[in-house]
Amino acid sequence: MDKILRDKKAIIIFIAPAFIMFTLILFVPIIQVFYYSLCDYNALTKPEFIGLENYIDLFTDDETMRIALKNSLFFMIFSAVSQQTIGLILAVLLTNIKRGRNFFKNVYYLPAVLSSAALGLLWAFMFNPRMGINQMLAYFGIEGPMWLSETSGFIVLPMWVIAFVALWQYVGQTMMLYIAQISGISKELYEASYIDGATKVQTFRYLTLPLVKPMMVTSLSLNCIGSLKFFDLVYNMTQGGPNHRTDVLATHLYTQGFQYFKYGYASAISVVLLIMCLIVSFIVNKCIKVETYES
Amino acid sequence: METLKKKKTISPIQVLIYIVLSVLVVLFVFPLVWMVNVSLKTNAEVFASPFGLPSVLQLGNYIYAWTKGYLGRAMLNSVIVCGITLIISMFLGSMASFAIARMRWKLSSLVMTYFMIGMMIPVHCVLIPLFVRFSKMGMTNSLIGLILPYITFSLPMTIFLMVGFFKGMPKELFEAACIDGCNIYECFFKIALPLSKTGVCVAGLMTFVGNWNELLLAMVFISDTSKKTLPVTLTYFVGPYATNYVQMFAAVVIAIAPTILVYCLFSNQIVDGLTAGAVKG
Repeated sequence: MDKILRDKKAIIIFIAPAFIMFTLILFVPIIQVFYYSLCDYNALTKPEFIGLENYIDLFTDDETMRIALKNSLFFMIFSAVSQQTIGLILAVLLTNIKRGRNFFKNVYYLPAVLSSAALGLLWAFMFNPRMGINQMLAYFGIEGPMWLSETSGFIVLPMWVIAFVALWQYVGQTMMLYIAQISGISKELYEASYIDGATKVQTFRYLTLPLVKPMMVTSLSLNCIGSLKFFDLVYNMTQGGPNHRTDVLATHLYTQGFQYFKYGYASAISVVLLIMCLIVSFIVNKCIKVETYES
Repeated sequence: METLKKKKTISPIQVLIYIVLSVLVVLFVFPLVWMVNVSLKTNAEVFASPFGLPSVLQLGNYIYAWTKGYLGRAMLNSVIVCGITLIISMFLGSMASFAIARMRWKLSSLVMTYFMIGMMIPVHCVLIPLFVRFSKMGMTNSLIGLILPYITFSLPMTIFLMVGFFKGMPKELFEAACIDGCNIYECFFKIALPLSKTGVCVAGLMTFVGNWNELLLAMVFISDTSKKTLPVTLTYFVGPYATNYVQMFAAVVIAIAPTILVYCLFSNQIVDGLTAGAVKG
C-alpha cells in the first residue's frame, strides 16, 4: 500500500503535465512582465532597459493612473464590504427559512454565472440617460441623472453605478460560499445552543460567525482580487469614459498595452496590479484569525 | 432538530424574511425579463412604450443578431474553446490533485502552495508577455492560443476543489483497492474519479462558466472576426453610438441562453458539491 502511494514515477506522471503548463504559461510570463516593466518597449521595437522610468512616470506623470488606482481601491473596498455583509446575511436568512430555499438560492446565484460582458450591455441600457431606469423615473415625473456620464465628486456617479451592478451580479457567489460553509456546521451545535436558550442573534454571533471564518478568508480574498482585476462591466458600460473618469487598473492596462501598444508601460501597470493582489491576499490571510474547532 | 420543527406556526419574523427575499427576487429577475421584452420589440416601441409588451413578437431581431452579428460562428468558437479547455483542465487538474491529496511525497504541500498562488494572480498580469510570446509563435488569432491560457488559469480552482474532495475520501477505500491488486492508475481512474462525480461537476461548472464569460484575453488575442468568442462578439454593440437596442438584446439573450440552460441543469449540484466538502476554507 505504502509503496504504491510512494511510486515516484506515478507521482511525476500525475503532476508533471499540470505543473509544466502552469510554469510555462503563468510563472515564466510573470518573470517576463517584471523585466518588461523596466524596459522601453512597444510593438515595433525591441525591449530596451530603462530602469524604473516607467514606474516614475506611472506615479508622477499619469493622471489616469491616479484615477484608476482610486477607482480600483474604491471598487475593492465597496465590493468587499457590501458583498461580504449582504452575502453572509442572505446565507444566514436562507439557512433559516423552511420553504423555497433552493428557489431563492438559485435566483440570487444566477447573475454570477452569466457573462458580465452581456450583463454590462444590459445595464448600460438600463442606465442610459433616455432609457431603462430613467424611463421608469420619467413615468413618475422625475428626471433621472446622467447615470453613466456624470463627472463630479471624488468618486464619480458612474463608479457607484458600476459598483452596485457588480454587487447585484456577484453577491450570489459570496452567498453560495457561505451557505456551503454554514450547512457544513454540525446540527448538534445548533441543537445545543437552542437547548441552552440562546436567541437567534446570539446563535449567529457566537456560533455561526466564528465557524464561517475560514470561508471568510477564501471568500474575501477571491472577492478583493476579483474586484481589483475587474474589467468586463467597466469596459461594456463606460469604456473608462467620460474622459477616463471611470478607468480602473485593468482598463488602463488594456488601453496602454493594446490601444497605444506601450508594452513596457502596460507591464508596469501589470506589476502594480499583481503586487496589490498579493498584498491584499496576504493581509486578508493574516488579519482574519482562524481558530480551528473540532468538527 | 426535532424540537425545532415542532413550532409549526409561522412567526412574523419569518414573514418579514420572506418579504425581503421576494423583493430581492424581483430585483434580480426584473432586469433580465425587461431585456427579453425589449429584444422582442421594435426600436420605436422601446422608446414609445417602455413597459408595454411587444405588439408583434419581433423574432426577426434574433435572426438578424444570429446572422449579421456573427453569433452562430461565435457560439461555435466558444463551444470549441470551452469544451476542449474543460476536458483537458479537468483531466490534468484532477490528476495533479490526486497526487497532491493522496500520494505520499515530500514536496506535495509545496506544490499545492505553488498552484494556489495562481488563484491570487489575475490573467491581466501576464497578458503582455503571453501576447508577445504567442504572436512570435504565430499562436495569436487562433483558438489554440486561447485554450492554453484558459486551461492554465482554470487549474488552480480545479485543484483547490478536487484536493478537498480527494482528501475527504476514506483511506480504507484505497487500501482495499490496493490489496485487491489495483495499481495506482486504477486507483485513480476506477475509484477516486468515479467517486468524486459531484466534485468534478462543481469544478467543471466553474471552469466552464469562467471561460465561457472570459472577455479580456479573448479580446486581445483574437482579431479575426471568424475566430471571436461570444463575449467579444458582443462588444460590437458597445459604445455611445449603439442605439440598435432590440438587436443588441436579442444577441445578449442568445449569448446567455446556453449558460442559463447549463445552470438550470446543474444548479443544485453546485451547492451539493460545495457542501460535500469540496471547499474547506
